[in-house]
Amino acid sequence: MCSCLKKGVLNLLLDSFYYKEKGLFLQSLHPGAAVTLILVFLLQVLVFSHPLYLAGSFVVILLTIWAADGLKALKNYLKFALWVVLLVLAINPLVNQSGNTVLWQSPHLPLAGRLSVTLEAVLYGAAMGLRLLNIVVIFCLYNLIVHPDRILNMISRFAHKPALVISLSTRLLPVLAASLNNIREAQQLRGVDFSDGSLKKRVGRYTAMLNVLMISSLEDSLQIAEAMQARAFGSGPRSIYRRDLFRPRDGLCLAGSIFSLGAAVYCIINDLGSYTFFPQLGSLFSNAASLPALGAVLSGLTLPALLSWGWNRCRYLKLKI
Amino acid sequence: MPLFKIENLTYYYPDAPRPALQNINLVIEEGEFLLVVGGSGSGKSSLARLLAGLIPDFYGGRIGGRVLFKGQDIRHVDRRSLAGEVGIVFQDPEKQLVMTGVEGEIAFGLENLSLPQAEMFRRVAEILGFFGLARHKTEFTASLSGGQKQKLALASVLAMQPRVLILDEPTSQLDPAAAEEFFNLVRQLNEEMNYTIVLVEQRLERCFHLADRVVIMEQGQIVNVSPPGDSAAWQVANNFSYIPPVAAFFACLKAPVVPLTVKEGRRLLNKYKLFPEQEGKQKVIPAGTAGKAPGGRGAPAVEVKGLWFSYPNGRETLRDINLHIAPGEFVALMGENAAGKTTLLKHLAGLLKPWRGKVLVAGLDPLKVKPRQLARVVGYLSQNPGDYLFQDTVEEELGFTLSNLGLPGNGRVEGMLEKMKLTCCQGFNPRDLSSGERQRVALASVMVQGPQLLLLDEPTRGVDYGLKAGLGSLLRKVAAEGTAVLMVTHDVEFAAEYADRIVMLFDGRIACDGPKHEVLCSSMFYAPQLSRLFRDVRSGVLTLREALEFMGIRKIYPGDCDDSLV
Repeated sequence: MCSCLKKGVLNLLLDSFYYKEKGLFLQSLHPGAAVTLILVFLLQVLVFSHPLYLAGSFVVILLTIWAADGLKALKNYLKFALWVVLLVLAINPLVNQSGNTVLWQSPHLPLAGRLSVTLEAVLYGAAMGLRLLNIVVIFCLYNLIVHPDRILNMISRFAHKPALVISLSTRLLPVLAASLNNIREAQQLRGVDFSDGSLKKRVGRYTAMLNVLMISSLEDSLQIAEAMQARAFGSGPRSIYRRDLFRPRDGLCLAGSIFSLGAAVYCIINDLGSYTFFPQLGSLFSNAASLPALGAVLSGLTLPALLSWGWNRCRYLKLKI
Repeated sequence: MPLFKIENLTYYYPDAPRPALQNINLVIEEGEFLLVVGGSGSGKSSLARLLAGLIPDFYGGRIGGRVLFKGQDIRHVDRRSLAGEVGIVFQDPEKQLVMTGVEGEIAFGLENLSLPQAEMFRRVAEILGFFGLARHKTEFTASLSGGQKQKLALASVLAMQPRVLILDEPTSQLDPAAAEEFFNLVRQLNEEMNYTIVLVEQRLERCFHLADRVVIMEQGQIVNVSPPGDSAAWQVANNFSYIPPVAAFFACLKAPVVPLTVKEGRRLLNKYKLFPEQEGKQKVIPAGTAGKAPGGRGAPAVEVKGLWFSYPNGRETLRDINLHIAPGEFVALMGENAAGKTTLLKHLAGLLKPWRGKVLVAGLDPLKVKPRQLARVVGYLSQNPGDYLFQDTVEEELGFTLSNLGLPGNGRVEGMLEKMKLTCCQGFNPRDLSSGERQRVALASVMVQGPQLLLLDEPTRGVDYGLKAGLGSLLRKVAAEGTAVLMVTHDVEFAAEYADRIVMLFDGRIACDGPKHEVLCSSMFYAPQLSRLFRDVRSGVLTLREALEFMGIRKIYPGDCDDSLV
């Protein structure tokens, strides 16, 4: 009967999926530099399909997460992501019938006929799983190094209302999670058993709980709106509070990201980042320029993790950047 | 020219049949400290919102009369300049914080005032330093403690550098030490920076003496405005009870000057040799009012042995808790914010699983029985009564509990409504009721099944003196009928008046546990005002009744002993 409860959910939310200030090198980056790094990572894992590129990116992102003291937080992301990746690995070969190298053929199935599992489809699924994993770890890295208020502060220069809405929603997420737990507890102590009865009955109980949450949230939103009005919100044009400094470290990281971006564009133009899966697997090193280009793309992105390592160990570097 | 001048003001909220404010006339001078007191629904918060320009601008409704701010009708003052001059801090910090981070929250109001970057940076830096929040500046507001959140709410308003600060029950969620710290800050703002303060408050023992004038409100009207000493004397004469115990005590003694602090009171008692007998440090606990010894009647209602608990972040919240509560005992669980009080309550309610140790409630292990079985013996009221209210009528709300537990009606609902004085609103939607009524409905909904253990988490938060007296009397009755009551509270005066026994929890451990006279009289920060007044003279004095009896006065000040729930 014990539930995970307010504190548990709140702690899980705050500890694992929310930014936590630790005074790290990567957290001290200007949000512009940090977001550029994240975007370049994201761009290349979305554009490149070459398994080596995807694997290389994965290693570099892990390295950066390690530099951001995020291996523990990463575990919680991977708990969810690995299941999805396994699902992709299992389903893709069954639905993707392309490829010449047949590994296994099913008996004749009604409607579906004979299903073939090909080596190409298995490896294509693995590459897609790796890409998905890359996206998840990039998201984890983003949460580790970018304070949401700082990024919203940056965005609010161009679109302050959407930024405020996002900020309010972000702030309310743990509040809503806590409220939901309080309501659940209150109902449980009035004899409501959420694990008992048919699915229909259980859905009904959860609906009643969400109903309370909805009513309470509406009442709360009125109070937040009142507090905002009392602090002059909506009384005319606003100014933007800027608190971020641009330091040499930001210039270096930004330069690294831009270099990688340039290298990635070169790869795209020269078709170096793609790989042929069907009908037959292509060679990993079909083009001699593939490996140096990959090195160039990743070197710029590795720079923040290397600087972080140096910043922690070299006093001179710490003072200079 | 006065800062505020309210003339013949009457205000109706939209669709309200009765006015929230009626024929208000009030003048507030610059630098004044005004304390506004009154019962629930008396119009205190409406007055605060009126002065902040939120009524009628935000709420709408009908308004007659006018409010002048520095000689100008407040409705014609530009909203931005008004917000820059008048700041308001509300009761619940959770519902006034807008941004995710601390620094962003302080800057929010400044951005709205469209201040230049350099000015904003200077103000944010100054405020962070003044409030000691600099090391929290990059933290999420959600991760702050209740006290820190309230401090942040005040800091965010003060960064706007208003001339007037309106505080609407700002300490209702703070423990006594944090509330003391908050009021010290407010006093500093008033005395050293000439801020005009309008404070709406229920817990008066820490702020009554700070005020220049006390405004008493009733049914939307101002019934008295006078300096605190005069206000205390007037209230005693007119049966009002918005007075801290020391002032009430001297007003009952008909002292020529009513002292407002323990220090002034001690001086007066010594000057006029008012103590009937000096007993030194002799410990005397008045007969019949001392706490009952644990283990009185039948099987224990609560039995906790060697309880340890940590949340997933690894912090040990409860450490080696041993607790025994007998049926019919009324126990107050006290201690600083985040000491583990609510966590302990949740273990008794079967909502948390101990890491080590044993918890038994009425002989049952809360984790080994079905929710339905446990709910029959445990009633649990959390801090927010709103979490309990979702049925269309009050009657259905109580019926919901009974039907979940498979218990027959047999007049239980009607009986409970009668007991809680809710019969008049049994057909109303619970959410349309006043805050005091809502709380009673929520309490009724967890008591209708007749539990053997009643767990209450800060039931007096934001509740006025009159309602508190009613709630206290009701809980004593419930305890007298054999239900064990365990109540988490920061309200020292309430615990002193109604509980039998006090358990103090500090940093997850029980620091002391004993009869209320023993525990509270020997405490420094958790001692009620009158206990501090009589320290070293007469031990065992906690309440006004006991103090007056000690002085040989049998007649009890009526406002203090109001048993009505209305």
